[in-house]
Amino acid sequence: MKIEVIYPEICNLYGDLMNAEYLARSCGAELVNTGLKEKPRFLSEKIPLVFMGTTTERGQELARDAFAPWLDGLKQRTRAGGLTLLTGNALELFGEYIQEEDGNRIPMLGLFPIHAERRMMARYNSLYLGKYGEMDIVGFKSQFSHSYGDNGEGLFTTTRGAGLNPGVKAEGLRWNNLMATYLVGPLTIVNPPFAKELLRLMGVEEPHLEFEEAAMDAYRTRVEEFSDPNRGFTYH
Amino acid sequence: MKLRFILALWAAKLSQPLLKITGHKGTNFPGELALKLCPEFLRYIAKPARIVAVTGTDGKTSVTNLICDMLEASGQRVLSNRAGANTNAGVSTCLLSGATIFNRTRFDVAALEVDERSAGRVYPYVKPQLIAVTNLFRDSIMRNGHPEFIASFLTANLPAESRLVLNADDLISSSVAPDNPRVYFGLDRLPTDVTDCINRLNDLRICPKCAGKLEYEYRRYHHIGRARCADCGFRSPDYDYEGKDVDLANMTITVADKSGSQTYRLLSDSIFNIYNLLTAVAVLREMGMDHQTIAGLAEKIDIVSSRFQAEKVGQVEVVMQMAKDRNALACSRAFDYVASRPGEKEILLMMNNLSDEVEWSENVCWLYDCDFEFLNNEQITHIVTTGPRGKDYNLRLRLAGVPEERISWARKEMDAADKLYLRPGSSVYILYGADNRSLDMGFRVREKVVKLAEEAGK
Repeated sequence: MKIEVIYPEICNLYGDLMNAEYLARSCGAELVNTGLKEKPRFLSEKIPLVFMGTTTERGQELARDAFAPWLDGLKQRTRAGGLTLLTGNALELFGEYIQEEDGNRIPMLGLFPIHAERRMMARYNSLYLGKYGEMDIVGFKSQFSHSYGDNGEGLFTTTRGAGLNPGVKAEGLRWNNLMATYLVGPLTIVNPPFAKELLRLMGVEEPHLEFEEAAMDAYRTRVEEFSDPNRGFTYH
Repeated sequence: MKLRFILALWAAKLSQPLLKITGHKGTNFPGELALKLCPEFLRYIAKPARIVAVTGTDGKTSVTNLICDMLEASGQRVLSNRAGANTNAGVSTCLLSGATIFNRTRFDVAALEVDERSAGRVYPYVKPQLIAVTNLFRDSIMRNGHPEFIASFLTANLPAESRLVLNADDLISSSVAPDNPRVYFGLDRLPTDVTDCINRLNDLRICPKCAGKLEYEYRRYHHIGRARCADCGFRSPDYDYEGKDVDLANMTITVADKSGSQTYRLLSDSIFNIYNLLTAVAVLREMGMDHQTIAGLAEKIDIVSSRFQAEKVGQVEVVMQMAKDRNALACSRAFDYVASRPGEKEILLMMNNLSDEVEWSENVCWLYDCDFEFLNNEQITHIVTTGPRGKDYNLRLRLAGVPEERISWARKEMDAADKLYLRPGSSVYILYGADNRSLDMGFRVREKVVKLAEEAGK
């Protein structure tokens, strides 16, 4: 079993890469890295999970250019039910464009009918509490932009914090098993139930996480913390 | 505007003794007040004729303090925000304290630490002759995002006339403000250097010019080292100030430049502090001091004790080691350093950001950019995790391969001290955070550890 990490040389901010590593370590999968100048393996091999993490603003353009030839392959994979996880601003690559402060629009891959609006001097930092089905999701947002447009029901339903933007409850994007979220960092580690769900979707029959007990202990503490209405939720 | 400035100066001046009387020392309030009353306060406040600024992700407080200490030891009157109040309000407070009520400066030179994100609010009004940039790494993700952003921010805001003192071993910070005059410092190959990155944090994996593959002649840690692009030939700049012949047995380093070379006493054996000394030497050389004078001054100074402090208590060594919270780089460097120290040791891991705990809940993404793997070391026999993020540290240590039996946990920091074994001949490293609440807690815990070590030694 393989997990493919797309463009780790640029899509590696905020500990995001640990998501793929944790899942791989939990199910014994092989982690394979695909660089900017390489053809993704999911186009020709059975890859149960494709992962792409957060990058810089320059990185978004490099990743867009590198991935554009393979977009149809991703569509085919997604129609067939293949699992893909995008975290942080990797989500924006698959919108229509990113609008900068001066109005300049940077075209993106256009898979989803959304666009991002970037404000480099107004970084948004927030905790996140939401739901994936009945499952509590906790996480962190730290971003220069929000996205706008139709994201349907999104990936998560927000309880506290921002959805795709602070005005909506639906967080992230979902098309079949293509999942994208603005949450950054060790999403799978701080959400062991969600990590197990991803393993199930990868085809692991009885998923068990590495150090699951310790992960669940930290998760329960965080869910309790983030559910406390007296807990501040944004960073200034 | 002038009248407004004079009112701001006098009001802020008046606030300083009032703050002292009421026990509110060391705050930025005077500067904040001055800026509120006169937003262009920094334009009008009297400044020393010579100004040197230090910025960068890590080491700026240490480098500022080294420069300040050496200049003071040379007999100059030096104005500095050495406590680390490095925003525009902090710089305003500092310059205010150096000016008379008639707005005349009482100092020969200012050594200012300037926060990278404050560059746009400080440099329009304060024009240092020299600006040293220590390095640029991934810092607090909330404030700084990523180093590429900070580099572009500095490029947009550093005064065009300032001469830059840059780290040639850091291809991110050495590329800032390309039109400014500049010199580079760097540290020649060390026996511990590698070529491939062994760290989780690596902020420069591709060529900044063409996105090609970077090849390292030698790599110190993370993205620091000498690199070239295999595709376009872009490479690390040559050194104007070269640190070489590092001798940790005798604690010396040689610094060479076009005028000659000089042996300097090292103040610490950590590579980070070697870089800090090298940066300070390069700055003082650019200020016109000769090598021999600087080496003499370096003999008279030490590094700030709030950052590293070792003390023998009974049969145990108690070491205070600051590990800047929310900063994967600073903690990775601290972990690497602690692991490399000889002898059996215990660690009390408490780099929680306690101020965050008041405001919200600490964003723990940095834990997964940080090399906790250095703590998976046979000579680190016991690690106690504590504080609000203690359970996160516990999980992170397990994922780093530290065996469960070597980890203890206590929710409260003061209780964590009781978990230590304090075996004779061992060391205890207290790794504490940099925010004021964490500093305070770190030193309170140290007092308890010292007391326990004294009792154990009886």
